[in-house]
Amino acid sequence: MNPKTPTFSATRHSSWNIWRNPIFRRYCQSRLRLRGLGVALLIAILIAGFLFFMARTIGLYRTSMSVSDAERGTLIPLLVFQALILFVLGTAQVSGGMTAETDEGVIDYQRLIPMSPPAKVLGYLFGLPIREYVMLCATLPFSAWALWRGEVPAHVWVPLAVVFFTSALTYHLTGLVTGTVVRNRRWAFLVSIGLVFCLYTVVPQMARFGLVFFKYLTITPVFEESLPGLLPKTVGALVATGQKLAPEVKFFNLGFPEAVFTVFCQGGLILTYFVMLCRRWRKSESLLLGKIWATGFFAWVQVLFLGNALPLIDPGNLFPSREFAKRFLVAADWAPQASEAVGMSGLYGLVTLVLLFIITKVITPTADIQIRGWRRTRKQGNTSLPILSDAATTFSWVVVMALAGAFGWFVFTRALVESRWFPGHEVPLSVLGFFSVVMLSGGLGFHAMLESKGGRTVGLAVIFVGVVPLMLGAVLSASSNRLWPAASWLLGISPLSAPVYAAGTLLSISELPANLARAVPRAFYFWQAVSLLVTIGLVVQLRGARKLIARDAVQPPAGP
Amino acid sequence: MAPIPAIDIRYLRVDYGNFVAVDDLTLTVPPGEVFGLVGPNGAGKTSTFRVLTTLMEPTYGEVILSGVDVLEDIETARRIIGYMPDLAPVPSDLKVGEFLEFHAAAYGLGTRAQRRERVAECLEEVALTAQRGNWCKELSRGQTQRVVLAKTLLHRPHILILDEPASGLDPLARRDLRQALRKLAATGATVFVSSHILSELAEMCSSLCVMNRGRLLASGTVTQVRDQLGHNDRTLTVSLLNREKEAATWLESQASVHDLRLSETQVVFGFTGSDDAQADLLEGLIQRGIRLRAFEEKRSSFEDILVEVAESNRRP
Repeated sequence: MNPKTPTFSATRHSSWNIWRNPIFRRYCQSRLRLRGLGVALLIAILIAGFLFFMARTIGLYRTSMSVSDAERGTLIPLLVFQALILFVLGTAQVSGGMTAETDEGVIDYQRLIPMSPPAKVLGYLFGLPIREYVMLCATLPFSAWALWRGEVPAHVWVPLAVVFFTSALTYHLTGLVTGTVVRNRRWAFLVSIGLVFCLYTVVPQMARFGLVFFKYLTITPVFEESLPGLLPKTVGALVATGQKLAPEVKFFNLGFPEAVFTVFCQGGLILTYFVMLCRRWRKSESLLLGKIWATGFFAWVQVLFLGNALPLIDPGNLFPSREFAKRFLVAADWAPQASEAVGMSGLYGLVTLVLLFIITKVITPTADIQIRGWRRTRKQGNTSLPILSDAATTFSWVVVMALAGAFGWFVFTRALVESRWFPGHEVPLSVLGFFSVVMLSGGLGFHAMLESKGGRTVGLAVIFVGVVPLMLGAVLSASSNRLWPAASWLLGISPLSAPVYAAGTLLSISELPANLARAVPRAFYFWQAVSLLVTIGLVVQLRGARKLIARDAVQPPAGP
Repeated sequence: MAPIPAIDIRYLRVDYGNFVAVDDLTLTVPPGEVFGLVGPNGAGKTSTFRVLTTLMEPTYGEVILSGVDVLEDIETARRIIGYMPDLAPVPSDLKVGEFLEFHAAAYGLGTRAQRRERVAECLEEVALTAQRGNWCKELSRGQTQRVVLAKTLLHRPHILILDEPASGLDPLARRDLRQALRKLAATGATVFVSSHILSELAEMCSSLCVMNRGRLLASGTVTQVRDQLGHNDRTLTVSLLNREKEAATWLESQASVHDLRLSETQVVFGFTGSDDAQADLLEGLIQRGIRLRAFEEKRSSFEDILVEVAESNRRP
């Protein structure tokens, strides 16, 4: 490039040729040094060998299993160990490594190198956890032996292997996004491990309450499906019989194999993470998602929620008490409780509202981004911001998402309440209106405050309006049953309680206790009215704030 | 036709919330220059450099590098610049050679053999050939600076942006750095270098600018900058052999003379005129038959001037 000196013909790196990716190769060099790798491999082989021989020996000599059954018995301990290596160690390495780059300051060099954002993302994605991949490979001969000698058919282990890999990608990308967003190395490590932990513990619990989609973000469904083939034949047969009683996985009216559907669900998340990272590599100050992608992602999650849940309503498998009844063999005269359906509807609304908050936070521009956007627009001789630019307001997108969320919530609630389990009950269209008000007042209020007043104000509002009333209400309600009405008024202040109150108030199947039957509906209507008025006020303020920014951006600003 | 400026900054402003880090900076650097950016800590040097290197989007303004708008065509801009950040970091898990070869590969510099050759060249330029196999984390501060300089030179950038490159270097290494930068400028590259070690920048730069609290205070050659900052004041001492009182009276009547003191055979006074006016002054003394034994000029150092400017800006 220097005019008086010979230049090299700088070649462009292919995004997909991972073996020639300089970032990948750089990590292969640093993380596969003989000394560090040797110790890691030794530990991996020792543990895997111990698990394999221990399980095999017990199977062969302490039980009356056949050789193939004993070999099969080693598969699950090995799988748990492999998951530990790739899911936990790998994810921690990815998020910690990414933050270390920022911490040391070398990330600026990587920003400047002429590689495409996808090439950079892939380089980090496969480069940072390379030692964990090699450790995993060191344990594979044991698994391969067990699969071969245990006569496990390919149709059992291939889907499991595929989902194992896509799950690893999902968690590593979670770590990569965390490492990119969270600047502190220790926090990035804790947050990413916390997220993976939640994915395996907290999130699947939501699947028990109607939000089945969440369990497909883990390897669990495919693992459970493969379980009969992985266990010794006699135990496997029992499990297989049990599974015949288990719900069949459906997406609306389409039947999907578990593995395909898991890959489909995880694929959407992987793609979204990938887009986030590419945007950040392209421009370090850009928002994590564009408006269209974020809105599409929100709608896609709604479709998945509904697609998974609706086919399970009529067989009754969506209701949490159904599983309980099955476990205690009282399924014959089982029927869902009305309160279950009300709770599930409330939970659906709550999760949708929280998702709306998160996505709104991701796509809402800060004041700095708005100012920069307006000045660039002026420079280009335009009079308005491009609607899809980061700087443009997200108002209309939040409206679209809020309405989509309300519609999804309504469809779910209607399917629940009007199912064969609750004959004679209907959900009128007016409920859709109320659900829309809940979503719009919550979502738009959050958005307008965030865009006009900034993250600090929103943080304080979340604490003092969102969380503190819930805490106070909970303490109050725990102290005496007589205080439940007062507590319900207090709880109602928080926008997070609105979906549950809406379900409790608007659904005909709702049977509130006597001392709440009047307080909850009143609190709901009152706080919704207040919330609506506050939201309108905030939206008016937002309009004013944006006009001010647009006006000030016409001329170069004077000094402070 | 005038050549396209290597660096063209227009109305640059960088805000961090309510804090204005760079305020209305307009600056042009012609190609092939070693241009210095001087200012105390917090002057806005690093923010300016981060905008120039596409690492940060400014709040307002335009930056054009060799005709490429860095805000509109980031990829092309990144190919023509080489950036060495302040406190030049290096990865702790790589050796010197590996670090440089990784960057050579990332810039797509030919075959593996060509890359190794280029790495060797750059290490030689910064006198670190012997350290090729050393761990980056084991290098001294000065060696680290030089490794990062070598990395910056790898792809033969058109414009080198060096943020405080001399910090941590010993005098010998500073001299080598000066020579290396001049050599680069001689090949046609433009070097934009910042420092708060002012005397050093004055030595290595063909021109420079002074920033304080985000604002550009002066730019041009060292003399021009001195004039623009209003610090062309100097103290003149004239030793006389005769008519001391007459000389003092005449000098006191001159417009640019102030604070005159007479002590036996010496007249000491402040002078704010130009170099020509100073020559006229001496000629006037001689024409009046006054015999001069010696003449001494003392200017305040560049460092002193900037400290004074920074101090005056700090005052409310």
